[in-house]
Amino acid sequence: MKALGIIFDGIVKRNPTFVLILGMCPTLGTTSSAMTGMSMGLATLFVLICSNVAISLIKNIVPDKVRIPVFIVVIASFVTMLQMVMQAYLPSLYATLGIFIPLIVVNCILLGRAEAFASKNGVLLSLCDGVGVGIGFTIALTILGAVREILGTGAVFGYQLYSADFGALIFVLAPGAFIVLGLLIALFNRLYAR
Amino acid sequence: MSSACLSRCSTVCTPAKVMLEYLSIIFSAILVNNIVFAQFLGICPFIGVSKNLESAFGMSMAVTFVMAVATAVTWLLQHYVLLPLGLVYIQTIAFILVIAVLVQMLEIIMKKISPALYAALGVFLPLITTNCAVLGVAIIVAQKDFGLMHSVVYAVATAIGFGLALTLFAAIRTQLALSDVPRSMRGVPIALIVAGILAMAFMGFTGITIA
Amino acid sequence: MKSTMATMTVSLCGLSLLIGAALAGVDSLTREPIAKARENMRNEAIAEVLPDFDNAPSAQAIYTEDGQTIFPAFLSGRNVGAAVETYSDNGFSGRFTVLVGLDTLGCVTGYKVLSHTETPGLGERMCTWFSEAGTTHDIRGKNAPFGVRADGGDIDAITGATISSRAFLEAVNRAVETVANHIDELNEISQ
Repeated sequence: MKALGIIFDGIVKRNPTFVLILGMCPTLGTTSSAMTGMSMGLATLFVLICSNVAISLIKNIVPDKVRIPVFIVVIASFVTMLQMVMQAYLPSLYATLGIFIPLIVVNCILLGRAEAFASKNGVLLSLCDGVGVGIGFTIALTILGAVREILGTGAVFGYQLYSADFGALIFVLAPGAFIVLGLLIALFNRLYAR
Repeated sequence: MSSACLSRCSTVCTPAKVMLEYLSIIFSAILVNNIVFAQFLGICPFIGVSKNLESAFGMSMAVTFVMAVATAVTWLLQHYVLLPLGLVYIQTIAFILVIAVLVQMLEIIMKKISPALYAALGVFLPLITTNCAVLGVAIIVAQKDFGLMHSVVYAVATAIGFGLALTLFAAIRTQLALSDVPRSMRGVPIALIVAGILAMAFMGFTGITIA
Repeated sequence: MKSTMATMTVSLCGLSLLIGAALAGVDSLTREPIAKARENMRNEAIAEVLPDFDNAPSAQAIYTEDGQTIFPAFLSGRNVGAAVETYSDNGFSGRFTVLVGLDTLGCVTGYKVLSHTETPGLGERMCTWFSEAGTTHDIRGKNAPFGVRADGGDIDAITGATISSRAFLEAVNRAVETVANHIDELNEISQ
């Protein structure tokens, strides 16, 4: 079925982190642990689904010349709603993710999918694309966060796998983010050599 | 980093003290808390535009201009419109609209003044709108409640830090293009690992303060 | 749709109105929950650093001129101590804030680091180091002024993080000093 195919594409063939290389800022900034990485991915998934559906609904009534500003405003409004809801019901998570929540607005993934897919396809397919790409992003962030957390502190999702004294702290810090992501992308390239 | 002079003026502010505070902000923003290597903002153009030195330099200039003006305008917006009217929740939308408009204006101005530079930067100019660094700095400045002059100095210094990171990276990448890199690592992976090593180098600046 | 001046203006205005209304709606729904959530986080932190109390410390908070906040705690009308939200600018990576719990004798009952940007594995260890039971660096039950051993005090600094340790103890000392400076105001407050 076409819809399922689109979801699967978003996770593998068009994975935003490993293939499209989009949305790098939150990828590096929120993956110091598996939990924060996954939370960021889920937050982006929520906005991605909403914005894809909304843009697909209004694609025929938006004049061509102003479509980019319109897309940005639609995405920004959903991010603002997410911000308000998170502050009210998930305050500690909101504090952990910090500035990267409002920065979902300029996450190239959202504008990219809006421009490349949602503005040219029906609502159901756009929904599937949002789900697929969002899940792909969440999986990528979770894996990156897990690798960094295990190598850096010996724990993952709160379970201590080995003593933190043997962890290489660098992986939880800034350089570790760049290096682990580079190696993961190389691994992805190797596995899906095209 | 003490900002007693710049924010609250509860201490005696001699010109020398104020100069020292600005120097401290500039040093911190460019080296200690570099926007790319320490704060993870501005990565997309960092990877996309750093393939050669000329476009890297041009992009840095454009980003510096947009960041400085955007920070000033969003500061005014925050303090004279959003806060008094209690509309802080539309901060994200308002800020991104300001940035989008500024970038549009920059495009028009650049087309008229320097068509060559406009052609060189090409598709990267509208991309400044989605540069996390520009929106990020505007939000950081609003959250930390800096004064107007403090904010603009911080924004310009941050942009210089971005330009420094971009230029260093571009220089290394031009060398890297001539090297024999394993197939899976070509392009983005090896670039990221180089960025990681650069980030390690910049970590050497942690903890250094002037004032 | 074609991009004429008319269609562009109408669609942009229409969209702005729609979004404005939607956001105002969500804002009115979440304004109270957000304030409540903030209040809860603060009260939970205070409960962590102080022994039992039955008042609402945030409601009777004293705000000092240098940015600190004192939260008095009462049990059955009797003052059992206060939590002070204090700070230090001399951390290894700049400013951090700590909530220090003090009893009526000025001894530390507990603390919680509220925000910091110290190095993980080094300065970050101050979040638990100074309350490790049975060690020479446990500051609970002890009285100010605190100092690291390198400066002639009794508290062992974090291995390899003397600057962060020094700054932390400076914050705790500042908290005790603030309570001493505002002792009259505290005595005036009753249930």
